[in-house]
Amino acid sequence: MKKLLTLAVLTASTYAVQAEVRINGFTNFLGGITSSDESLYGYDDKISFSEESLFAIQISGDINDKMTATGQLVARGEDDYKAKFEWAYLTYQATSNLNVSAGRFRLPLFSYSASSEVGYSYHWVTTPQTVYDVSFNNIDGLKLDYSNYFGDWEYVLSSSFGSFSDDTDETITSGDDTVLVSAEAVYDALKIRAVIGRTNLNVDSPSVDAFLDPMRAAGLNSLADSLDIEDDNGTFKGLSIQYDNFDWFIGGEITEISVKDSFAADDVAYYLTAGVRTGKWTPSITYEKFESEAKVKFQDQIDQIATSQLPDSLKETFTGLAIGSQLAQEEDFSTITAAIRYDLDTNIALKADISKRSDDVDSIFDATLLRFAVNYVF
Amino acid sequence: MHIKSPLKTLIGIALSCSISLCTLAEVVVIVHPSNDSALTQKDVQRIFLGKEKKFSNGNSILPINQQPSSSARGSFDTDTLGRSSTQIAAYWSKLVFTGKGIPPKELDNDAAVLAFVADNQNAIGYVDNASVSDAVKVISLN
Repeated sequence: MKKLLTLAVLTASTYAVQAEVRINGFTNFLGGITSSDESLYGYDDKISFSEESLFAIQISGDINDKMTATGQLVARGEDDYKAKFEWAYLTYQATSNLNVSAGRFRLPLFSYSASSEVGYSYHWVTTPQTVYDVSFNNIDGLKLDYSNYFGDWEYVLSSSFGSFSDDTDETITSGDDTVLVSAEAVYDALKIRAVIGRTNLNVDSPSVDAFLDPMRAAGLNSLADSLDIEDDNGTFKGLSIQYDNFDWFIGGEITEISVKDSFAADDVAYYLTAGVRTGKWTPSITYEKFESEAKVKFQDQIDQIATSQLPDSLKETFTGLAIGSQLAQEEDFSTITAAIRYDLDTNIALKADISKRSDDVDSIFDATLLRFAVNYVF
Repeated sequence: MHIKSPLKTLIGIALSCSISLCTLAEVVVIVHPSNDSALTQKDVQRIFLGKEKKFSNGNSILPINQQPSSSARGSFDTDTLGRSSTQIAAYWSKLVFTGKGIPPKELDNDAAVLAFVADNQNAIGYVDNASVSDAVKVISLN
């Protein structure tokens, strides 16, 4: 079938270059189970296949010799395999070095952002979630990619503009006037990438409203506005360094997310990974760390609660909420993962990993998770 | 002295066999006879990894690959690109699904590649050394 398609495409391209439509796909079939009574990445102590499994089809077509349309249809196990177009964009090749894309696409926050779901393309079972699991991923907007080389260095400069909105559970995270700029340089086996971005962030969450609404009702509007994430400046910074000489590799990536003027604490996350490729086998080890150091901000406004006309019991409650909501952001956990990949064929990989998570704030979140995966691309 | 020893011949055969086994197929890079672009191994790597899209004469490059199961592909990936075919596949899967590139077309065998390259001014491919014909030009990589 594939040969037939290739042949058809080749025949077609000989006569009419514009007529080409490409269909590619990838699937990740994942299963996982934790040790007793623990939970991690949605898995628990009963084996589950739906948490991270997905099927995706990508269709791209050349509109003319400068323009390409790309759509990616993804069906996720966690959404009961309901398929939806997660990406849909047009790319205009302005020059041989400059591409302009418009539509909905993956926001290139991380080194593996755009390919983080193509399990076949990397050594992990999934990309390190401590770093990669952010509440928004795809953006509606415009992206410019400039690639060139300078001596033996190859580089890509990328800038994205637009807005995003993502809902997980009942929380809606949205950002307007988002700007993200990244630079990636590759020299032989070495790849270095730096990224910086900002957005006007809004987080609409019932659990946040539950403590801010009573505050507003009691007339503490300015304090509630300070704590709330509403049109606040969110910034993202990231740096990654990878060395991969094909026989072995080592790499790391660190990110910092902060939301100014809100109850949120600054999140710092990083991972270090290393592995070797011996024939069809790729054993690797990955260490991930997440730190969010809680600080009590807006102390002046909190102090003003004491001078308000509210009854003492409410003063105490609101002071406690204002401080507690900020201190509750304290997070400190690490995960260590041993993984193995086996190349069954040039388009199928089998994988397994075991992860141990240790939480330094609350040991109830400690967990050990075993996962296995089949990654297929076509 | 001038009498050929059967043992030596045998050793010679054994040696050449083991050498050819070691190197699998010796592949050479081919282009259309009219293509006078100078190419280094690095250029060929860039072309087959989708990083270079135009020849030095300004024409768009049409790279032609062989099937992943072929010995020519194995030799080309290992010797010229410096990676295993699986690593190349992983590399392309990353580019394809990020909309950053389209892997080279794959043809079935040396004969198909020779015919295609002989027919297309901007094509570049590779075949077993032994299959080369006059209809294409062999590029020597420096």
